Amino acid sequence: MAEPTQDDPGPIISAEALAKTYRVVQKKEGIGNAVRGLFRRSYREVHAVDGVTFRIEPGEMVAFLGPNGAGKTTTLKMLSGLVYPTSGQARVLGYVPSDRTDAFRRQFALVMGQKNQLWWDLPAGDSFQLHKEIYGIPDEGFRRTLGELTELLNVEKLTRQAVRELSLGERMKMELIAALLHQPRVLLLDEPTIGLDVVAQVAIQKCLRDYHERRKVTILLTSHYMRDVEALCERVLVINHGKLVYDGSLDHLADRFGNVKLVKIEFADGRVPEGMDRFGEVARQAGAEVHLKVDPARVGEMLGAILDQYTVADISVEDPPLEQVMARVFQEEAPAATSP
Amino acid sequence: MIPVECPSLPPQGILGRLRKYARVFRVSLIERMTYRADFLVSTFLRFLPMLTTILLWQAVFAGAKEYSGATDLSGFTFNEMIVYLLMVNISRLFSSMPGLAGGIARDIRDGSLKKYLLQPIDMVDYLLAYRVAHKSAYIIASFVPYAVLFFLCRGFFAGHVPTDPITWLAYAASLVLAFLIGFFFEACVGMVGFWFLEVTSILYIVMTLNFFVSGHMFPLDLLPPFWANFLRALPFQYLAYFPAVVFLEKVQGAELGWSLVQGAAWALVFALLSRWLYRIGLKRYSAFGG
Amino acid sequence: MSVLMRYTRLLGSLSKYTLAREMAFRGNFLVKVAVEVLWLAILLAFYRTVFVKTQNVAGWSEAEYLFFVGCFFALNGLIETLFLENCNDFAELVRTGDLDFLLLRPIDEQFLISCRKVDWSTAPNFLMGTALMGFSLFQMSWTFDLGRIVAFLVLFVCGLLIAYAFMLMLTSLSVWLVRNQSLMEMWWLFSSLARYPKEIFSRTWAEPIGRFFTYILPILLVVNVPARTMVKALEPGLMIFTLVATVVAMTVSRWFFRKALRAYRSASS
Repeated sequence: MAEPTQDDPGPIISAEALAKTYRVVQKKEGIGNAVRGLFRRSYREVHAVDGVTFRIEPGEMVAFLGPNGAGKTTTLKMLSGLVYPTSGQARVLGYVPSDRTDAFRRQFALVMGQKNQLWWDLPAGDSFQLHKEIYGIPDEGFRRTLGELTELLNVEKLTRQAVRELSLGERMKMELIAALLHQPRVLLLDEPTIGLDVVAQVAIQKCLRDYHERRKVTILLTSHYMRDVEALCERVLVINHGKLVYDGSLDHLADRFGNVKLVKIEFADGRVPEGMDRFGEVARQAGAEVHLKVDPARVGEMLGAILDQYTVADISVEDPPLEQVMARVFQEEAPAATSP
Repeated sequence: MIPVECPSLPPQGILGRLRKYARVFRVSLIERMTYRADFLVSTFLRFLPMLTTILLWQAVFAGAKEYSGATDLSGFTFNEMIVYLLMVNISRLFSSMPGLAGGIARDIRDGSLKKYLLQPIDMVDYLLAYRVAHKSAYIIASFVPYAVLFFLCRGFFAGHVPTDPITWLAYAASLVLAFLIGFFFEACVGMVGFWFLEVTSILYIVMTLNFFVSGHMFPLDLLPPFWANFLRALPFQYLAYFPAVVFLEKVQGAELGWSLVQGAAWALVFALLSRWLYRIGLKRYSAFGG
Repeated sequence: MSVLMRYTRLLGSLSKYTLAREMAFRGNFLVKVAVEVLWLAILLAFYRTVFVKTQNVAGWSEAEYLFFVGCFFALNGLIETLFLENCNDFAELVRTGDLDFLLLRPIDEQFLISCRKVDWSTAPNFLMGTALMGFSLFQMSWTFDLGRIVAFLVLFVCGLLIAYAFMLMLTSLSVWLVRNQSLMEMWWLFSSLARYPKEIFSRTWAEPIGRFFTYILPILLVVNVPARTMVKALEPGLMIFTLVATVVAMTVSRWFFRKALRAYRSASS
């Protein structure tokens, strides 16, 4: 068994061909089938995670992207030791997570946006105190960390209020505080901003960014909101059908999968001329403005032609929004994992 | 599963065939065991209280015989007592309504009551139909365990299975009454949720008390005469005591007829009460805007 | 700081916060207590009815029997206060997957899962049971004997632990039996074995059953041994056996519980 590698600057999280397969019972409708189900059940094998390999260096902040059911949560659970891998190996902080030693569990935290870890009927402050006892946090450190976090999230006044009376955003902030109280070195976040309004989302993002800068904690987060990812992470892992389809920088992701540019043109004479579709796919057309999807290789040529033939009031070339890029990624057949 | 002939496989000997079926048998057995073990565990557990109850009463009868030479307690011989306690389970199979009052109260509290208001459906009727369906399924599913239980206890039944068709008819009627009174009574308790949010706590008290006053614990006849008569005048005896004593032919003739009429009257009272409570509760509910 | 200290402190905090929560719903608390009082009253009414017709049940006089009932009530009250609600929640934790969070904590899982909450509403049962025991001792004009009291207390704790071990095993089952009845119900059914003096297993066909539940699945020891130690002739053999059974039951139940958690982790996604 590996000892924690304090002085080794190697990866803080690593996954080698990590895979998880499980069986689910197939239920059929109708009374007849229910009775038959008593005697024979049919199963389906689900390859939730199907051989995933990656490394994360200390202090990195990485986003884990993929559609629902792609295997994100299962991977997080394997990294936190909640789920045994069917095959392959995970290492976190030098430990094998599924051994679940106390020393390992003391050094990381998992926050799930859809789940509530705090005591529902008690003030969050009481849950924090319990955390202190469970993790054996010394008084002084506890007070300092708690003060720092409540200030960072601007919730000093809310810790004495029953959790069930808090808004969703406030509750999420409390969850985050609870997870950070024992100063984990690795923080796993599963949909931390799910269901939150934009203001609360931004507040959580800001807190994570500040905390990351201050403590150099390693963060791996999943999110459906590309805004989170854009605001926080430089590196992304994309998983689909249990396989890693991309591992690299966020910018590069747009280049690799979003191989179109969005050209927005506003014409000076107040209307869009006929026949724009010969330059590229018309994505939108209204008034004097047209949005064209153009192959990046043809952008220069196309701009020249437009400027030659028409009087243009304004023109811009952009990358398509990340949401669209992601949609393309997920539609593609899973290619082999690529290095950055 | 459809058996499919596999021509590519070499022909199997008898031994091979046997091994194959042994394998299939083993796998199916394990699968069935793991997934139906809950059924076995709960069936096994369900027998335990009956077992200890029989043994306790046996000790009580032995003690009474030693004390006063009596072979019966308030007219119940040991065998009759056990038959009574077994039959009380059948009464409760019909009259207990798990989740009914709690469900109504929850619908009121979390607002899902609206579904009855939006759809052309009456809540009480809907719940009654639902309950009849579920009860039927449950009673059918309970048939095997009870058959086993009664088979094991067949010795106690010797001479206590009614032969008179009138008794059987009355017994069937008493079970229907047990169901109806149980249903409408619990529905009334659930309707209290229009006025108090915390119905589950009231329900706990009612259920605990019910265990005693319905005669579920022991025949009401054992109590001092005043209390026995008092509890027999209440509707709760129809939930457990009454069907069991009908089965034991302890109530007969005019008294039986009169008791059945009285039970029907109680069922009607609770049916009307539940509807009335629903109507005025609903008025209050919509006045508060749900 | 020793591990024991840490767990004691944690238990202290847990009971403090659960009490705070309970007090936030005082009405509910009072109703639950009322139900328990009512239940004891029903039990007493039942035994009063019975003892009008006889002088002893299975060799226990009314006063002795009341002591037994008090002992059961106190012991079961403690079980319910400390463990029942927690174990009952376990199936729900498994179903919703919230069990994950408890497994992440750097603390013994068995401790955290079975002692997470203290159900204060059943704590009065312990007091009622104790009062009933005191009353019955007074009624039978029991002569004070410190040795017996010490032996009783030790065996009472043994009974508590044996019962806990059984409950933990029933709890662990819910990892495999996802659709089972609630643990509350299972426990109620199972503990019916501990509810009566073991002498009731005296019929020829019942004797092996009694022996089975004394020596193999020793649930009959739970209330019987402490109660007998206090009001009947001392049985050193049975007392020593109870001590051994406690150690074995605790060990086996822990092994079984860990096996269940392992199964949970391999099955979840």
